[in-house]
Amino acid sequence: MMKTIREIHDALDAKKASAVELARDFLTRSKADRRGAYLAFCDEGRVLAQAEKADALLKTEGKVPRERLPLLGVPIAVKDALAVQGVPTTAGSRILEGYLPPYTATSVARLEQAGAVLLGKLNLDEFAMGGSNENSAYGPVEHPTHPGRVPGGSSGGSAVAVRAGLCVASLGSDTGGSVRLPASYCGVVGFKPTYGRVSRYGLIAYASSLDQVGPLASNVSDAAAVLRAMSGHDPMDSTSAPRAGVGAIAAPDWSQVRVGVPKEYFIEARGGLQPEVERSIRDALKWYESRGARLVDVSLPHTRHAVAAYYLIAVSEASSNLSRFDGVRFGKRPPAADGARDLADFYKKVRAAFGPEVKRRIILGTFALSSGYYDAYYKRACQVRRLIQRDFLQAFESCDVIAAPVAPTTAFRQGEKASDPLQMYLNDIYTVPVNLAGLPAVSLPCGEDGEKLPIGLQLIGPQFGDERLLGLARAFEEGRA
Amino acid sequence: MSQATPRATPLATPDVRKVADLARLELTESEAVLFAAQIADVLGYVEQLSEVDVTGVEPLMQPLELETALRDDVARAGTPVVDCAPEALDGAYQVPQIL
Repeated sequence: MMKTIREIHDALDAKKASAVELARDFLTRSKADRRGAYLAFCDEGRVLAQAEKADALLKTEGKVPRERLPLLGVPIAVKDALAVQGVPTTAGSRILEGYLPPYTATSVARLEQAGAVLLGKLNLDEFAMGGSNENSAYGPVEHPTHPGRVPGGSSGGSAVAVRAGLCVASLGSDTGGSVRLPASYCGVVGFKPTYGRVSRYGLIAYASSLDQVGPLASNVSDAAAVLRAMSGHDPMDSTSAPRAGVGAIAAPDWSQVRVGVPKEYFIEARGGLQPEVERSIRDALKWYESRGARLVDVSLPHTRHAVAAYYLIAVSEASSNLSRFDGVRFGKRPPAADGARDLADFYKKVRAAFGPEVKRRIILGTFALSSGYYDAYYKRACQVRRLIQRDFLQAFESCDVIAAPVAPTTAFRQGEKASDPLQMYLNDIYTVPVNLAGLPAVSLPCGEDGEKLPIGLQLIGPQFGDERLLGLARAFEEGRA
Repeated sequence: MSQATPRATPLATPDVRKVADLARLELTESEAVLFAAQIADVLGYVEQLSEVDVTGVEPLMQPLELETALRDDVARAGTPVVDCAPEALDGAYQVPQIL
């Protein structure tokens, strides 16, 4: 079974397989899979048309034009928070059951333009709110190798599909760690670009100042290829950075690499950080040192306030973003709504379709923005956000990349944290600071614990340092192979 | 970051039903009770932000602090959005009569 873009392109070039055969194979296996990764498949006709186009082009060109169409014939799938014209898009919620978007997200469209074959939509926590993919209205997602464990979230389907070979690469979205965490738990590569690097047009919004679309793949080169194909300014997204897309990644000049180790992430985490996770990260640091990189102690003093700031800012933005789900212009309108007393009652009957976690966050956000509480909650959280960003700016004066765990532990058991939302939120301690500061970060596999559960190493770069970050990640992956 | 999280007394104990009403959400009795407890938990946790000295710190709303992009006022082809409505009539959204 082919897992990488290179394997596929080599096979296509050698005429060992055709794009149509690959598409059929991936579709068949994906449809038979019982782990709940996929929520919907593109119409078979649509998939085969893309694959046939790839084969026709291959016939004309002789070989895959890898520069011009870097994803030609490559089977991909995308998180169901991304709109694809005419393909069911639910955001993992009942409120969008049956919704067929009239347009396609820029990130997805660009991948298709690069030759990718879109298989379908992947399961997620409802409206991307969650860290375990237990919040989907359409059922949880199983860990790819350890039944009974969560795959992480909210892009659980995206990570499982890659790990289980149900697609070669996938798209997820990362607001507080939702690409990096499932990547870490499932043992794949997950990348969150600098904020604004990839268009959010067509990504159903959770928290607009934090959301970013990111690739998941079995290796760094593939994640980079997907990122390159979709990144770059998009006039349809007013928060899209006025910059060209991510460029090529280069091998690091080790004499120039300083790896920052935040003391708050390790020393103060004692008691919360699983020993095997810590050991694995420290081994990774030793590897970087062995190549000639210097390890530098850095401090991110406001780390312990990051989860608090995040869970006020994200929920506040979400309460605003989700107010559009009113049953008027799109989404489900239940029969009960027709008998509503007044407009407010009408909206309530429509919005009863939200799941509990979504309701909780909307209520929290509404409260944090409400008159009399705005200053103490939302505004203060935004002030702390600036301090967190400043911490990173300062740290990056003495280092080029920051190394960290992705999560305090490996994949936990289904149901373990489901009844205690706050415990679930605290799992995000290493991931949310990155979104608050708008930085690029990657999770890459760096080891396993005693139960063979994957451990992810997180590398964090300065804003727009995506290429350098990918270079350092790829070097680690290749060096430790 | 130890697992034993300090739960401070929150600044406020929101009337969860009232806030839900503002957000046009209807809660069952058991949801109201459960959410009140869980939300109080979270608010107790975020209380720690009051310890931070934010004197003179400008709030950061967006990590890039871009200027709002403008474009020329030129008509472009639209997207057929009315087709997504649960009910539509002659290019308009149809809603139950509510006076």
